Amino acid sequence: MTATTSPRTAAGAPQPADGAAAVPAHTGSRTTRILGVLALASSALLVLYGLVISPPDVEMADSVRLMYVHVPSATYLYVGCFFTTFASAMWLWKRTPGWDALAEAGAEVALVFSFITLGTGSLWGRPTWGTYWTWDARLTSTAVLTVLLIGYLALRRLDLDPGARSARVAVLGLLLVPNVIVVNRSVEWWRSLHQGSTLSRIDPTIEGDMLVALMVGFLALGLVFAWLMIHRFRVAWLEQQADRFDLDEALALRRAEAADATTATAATKGTA
Amino acid sequence: MIAMTHAGYVAAGWIGTAVLLGGYAWHVVRRGRKLSRQVPASERRWS
Repeated sequence: MTATTSPRTAAGAPQPADGAAAVPAHTGSRTTRILGVLALASSALLVLYGLVISPPDVEMADSVRLMYVHVPSATYLYVGCFFTTFASAMWLWKRTPGWDALAEAGAEVALVFSFITLGTGSLWGRPTWGTYWTWDARLTSTAVLTVLLIGYLALRRLDLDPGARSARVAVLGLLLVPNVIVVNRSVEWWRSLHQGSTLSRIDPTIEGDMLVALMVGFLALGLVFAWLMIHRFRVAWLEQQADRFDLDEALALRRAEAADATTATAATKGTA
Repeated sequence: MIAMTHAGYVAAGWIGTAVLLGGYAWHVVRRGRKLSRQVPASERRWS
């Protein structure tokens, strides 16, 4: 490309017009650095509590240690889906690119947590139920939610007009929270192998160091979730901006070509 | 930790989680760095 709308370096990076060459080219900020340090520290604490301090369960023995990752992961899977549905609704209302970026970030991070939820759940199920997988209501509905997230992200990658694509994925994004409700209530609506809620009862079924380990799991994975969401949101935002700059450059190139052609035609007529 | 029952399942779950989260975080940061070089600093509001 010969014509650009912004000056670029040899590496292709746009030059800051105000001379702020020191601006770092990444998605990090002071907030994410603090979050990252806290996430690493709380993850170390989770390893200590989850693998060392917490005693084995009377029934589940040491496989209970998988719960300190599994239960928080399932919760943040739900939170990611809530972000996507809320942002999709806001995009349909406001039509601003930030909501679209937030919806994409929520779905992708939720998908990562759904893999962790399904993986740790299967590994817990083998010694506890005697099988990695069964077509139980909770497991099946979680698998359906995962497939829905994969479909959502696949739809985002279709080569469509950006506005039409955002509208279609926003409608699909609205379906995530109803699915989360089905997953969450499935153990009550249908007969299920899966245990019910551990924490939301007045009398929780977990206590002492095991409860602390689970709480540390919520804290650590919550900080990781927040760190990932912020970075992924910024990546989605940058993708939108890069697409916009590519379009601007293509338009400028076509205009330059048209101007060159007009000049050449005029010169030819003048010579004749 | 010592003489843990179901140690293989527990280790697979924890290591798998760490690898997945670490790998995804690395992927997102790398993608962000690559895209940041294509977009002017004025569009990176967090910088």
